[in-house]
Amino acid sequence: MAAITVELREQLRTRRSADARGQVFRGLLMLALLVAFAALIAVLYTAITRAWPILSDRPLDFLTSNTSQSPEKAGVFQGIKGSVLLAGIVAAVAFPIGIGGAIYLEEYAGDTFFSRFLQVVVRNLAGVPSIVYGLLGLAVFVQSLGGLTGGRSVISGGLTLACLVLPVVIITTQEAIRAVPSELRQAGYGIGATHWEVIRSIVLPSAAPGILTGTVLSIARAVGEAAPILVVGAVSGFFQTGTLSFLEQTQSFFTALPMQIFAFTKQPTQTWGAHAAGASVAILLVVFAMNSVAIYMRARLDKKLRK
Amino acid sequence: MSTSLETELKKPDLGPVAAMALPAVGRRGIAAFLEIALYLVVTMVVAIIEFYAGGFTGPTLFGNKLFTTGTPGDFGPSNWLIGLVLFVAWNALTWRRSATAASRVLQLVFVGDDGRPAGFVRTMVRSVVRAGVLFALPVWLFQGNQVLWLALFVGTGLLLRVLPLHRAPWDLIAGTTMVESFGIDLGEDTGPLTVADLQVAGVRRSQNNRAARMLKGAGFGAVLVSLLIVWVVFSEAWEFVTAEDFSWSLLNIDGKRRGWFPRRDLYDLPTLLVGTLWVTGIAMAVAGPVGLGVAIYLSEYAKPKVQRIIKPIIETLAAIPSVVIGMVAIFFISPTLLSKLFGEIGIFSILAAGIGVGILTIPLVASISEDALRAVPMELRQAAYGLGSRKITVALKVVFPAALSGISAAFIVGISRAIGETMVVAIAAGGSGGTLFQLNPTEPGQTITAAMASLGAGTDQVAGSGIAFQSLYFLGALLFILTLLLNVVSDAIVRRFREVY
Repeated sequence: MAAITVELREQLRTRRSADARGQVFRGLLMLALLVAFAALIAVLYTAITRAWPILSDRPLDFLTSNTSQSPEKAGVFQGIKGSVLLAGIVAAVAFPIGIGGAIYLEEYAGDTFFSRFLQVVVRNLAGVPSIVYGLLGLAVFVQSLGGLTGGRSVISGGLTLACLVLPVVIITTQEAIRAVPSELRQAGYGIGATHWEVIRSIVLPSAAPGILTGTVLSIARAVGEAAPILVVGAVSGFFQTGTLSFLEQTQSFFTALPMQIFAFTKQPTQTWGAHAAGASVAILLVVFAMNSVAIYMRARLDKKLRK
Repeated sequence: MSTSLETELKKPDLGPVAAMALPAVGRRGIAAFLEIALYLVVTMVVAIIEFYAGGFTGPTLFGNKLFTTGTPGDFGPSNWLIGLVLFVAWNALTWRRSATAASRVLQLVFVGDDGRPAGFVRTMVRSVVRAGVLFALPVWLFQGNQVLWLALFVGTGLLLRVLPLHRAPWDLIAGTTMVESFGIDLGEDTGPLTVADLQVAGVRRSQNNRAARMLKGAGFGAVLVSLLIVWVVFSEAWEFVTAEDFSWSLLNIDGKRRGWFPRRDLYDLPTLLVGTLWVTGIAMAVAGPVGLGVAIYLSEYAKPKVQRIIKPIIETLAAIPSVVIGMVAIFFISPTLLSKLFGEIGIFSILAAGIGVGILTIPLVASISEDALRAVPMELRQAAYGLGSRKITVALKVVFPAALSGISAAFIVGISRAIGETMVVAIAAGGSGGTLFQLNPTEPGQTITAAMASLGAGTDQVAGSGIAFQSLYFLGALLFILTLLLNVVSDAIVRRFREVY
């Protein structure tokens, strides 16, 4: 009897000590979380404090002036313009192909060799480093198709980034389409709709929030990418856009916000550090805004699905 | 009983003509082709008349001659107009009997393809878009007043819309037209009812098929991109390897540590491999524990409410562009963090770059690991709790082993991402012009990706050909193979070691 009691007490003690271990473990997990938060805060803190000379002095002027040799005048207007153009080209090229490809894979392909091959290809494309896409852009869009794209131009850059986000768009769209309940589809067929009518009027509207989330996130990624357009040949220095027509501008030298940040960080920190940080603040605002939209849309979608 | 049903279902036998019956689609296609050919002939005839007869001198609108002057060489768009007017008029006159398959083409162009009556606004928008793309744009490219032409074609579109063309049974009409306009009898479908006969009407069916074709094309787009990548990268890399002045000193067989200086034709691969290893190792030392910790906390400890706050924050971290992290590495990590830990350390170092890459990799590792942990069935946890286990026991002894394959996949994907990360290293690791071979991570160095970035950057540094340029592709091929292998391995791990519950 007594032996059992001792054993029980022993067990209870181990449990208490296990609980202490549990507390330590929990503390470690919290520490990990803290490090992640600290990283985020460090990024924001560094960007804002470093950019403060510009943010407090001439926030609008910085956004609306062109690149310049003198730090007091230099701004990121051309970068913003380039980034907007790039995002537009990505949206125009990658979204139709990506969403179309995803619909094909989910709705039409079935389980053939081609569709399985396509799945594997898309999954692996998503893992290819972004700078390799830059090589693709350099060889195909800049050199082979240089006559159409104007060589190292915003069109080449946009097409390259479109290739980069294509697999991401396909994968997120596929997931969104897969989440549409098959009852809805069956109901559509039941009232005599064709396959395409079911897709257009039932599947796509139901999957739209998911698809939108994916596309918004991929645009945000494209806007933030620097490596591919660096290889494709975004210009870091001064260039003029004033006298060229819009079509000519799309075929001539270009820059983009992330490219300008890269260029600023290569300059002496004392004079140009604030510019790098200021451009970072600008790009962070854009990317965070897009992310919030995506997160909000997904939250709404979750709520709708739970009902 | 069954035989009478079959006879009932049979279509009327039209005699010998039926033997030449074409499938419905082919019949419609031929009709459309002939119709368009007729349209082109009319247009060409008008153009020839204009050219030789000095042309029509007609009324003007907004200072534009509605018909061209007819001066030889004056390429006027009036051919289009006259051809179109004649075409529409011809269709309108004979419309009850022979509004034809090409009217269907016009209907597609101007009215829309869903066969539904459209509202005024919808019709306007559609007409503007289609007329703009199909007619105004080509006209614009050559000459003329775009607004005028746009207005003309929108007007034509509206006119066509007023005529109840969309209600016509286009398939039947196409068949009769062939007989009545051209005297060609293509016959009728006969024989027992087939699936095709029971299918939905032509417009909707062709729409359906068109959609399938276009979507399949989009799928091919993705394959094309990947094939292009492989072809481009490897063919150029092959040229580098087989170039005359290439030597296998790349792999450093003779043991001399030279460093990576492409502009001096020094391509010492181990220099870059050591840099890549260091950066990846440091990054995973940061992202591995932190990411896994966050994942375990989120899936095992955090209440749903807390999760809803933490997850967006982690996602925000994932959204930060890598150039921004690079900037933080040289403005904060090096001067503030590392100088406190190591004392004197340069702004540019492998260590700072590695930590920056680690920050970028945290969310990736966290989210994939969390998915893996969540995929462990609740029953396992409940059973462990039912045996009296504590939370740490459940997390470490039950859930973690069950999710191990997914977590290792997360780490491998993290490594692959860290290897491929470019901008942080290009900014923070220094050594952009080239770097000596060295093993110390507190010194500047270069990775495969950073070397590529500095090779590819700018318009003036590396010309579009030559050995330095091809070394870019060699590194790209190396990177491609490395990351592909890692991805394949992580896939294989997930598939091979996944516990099936």
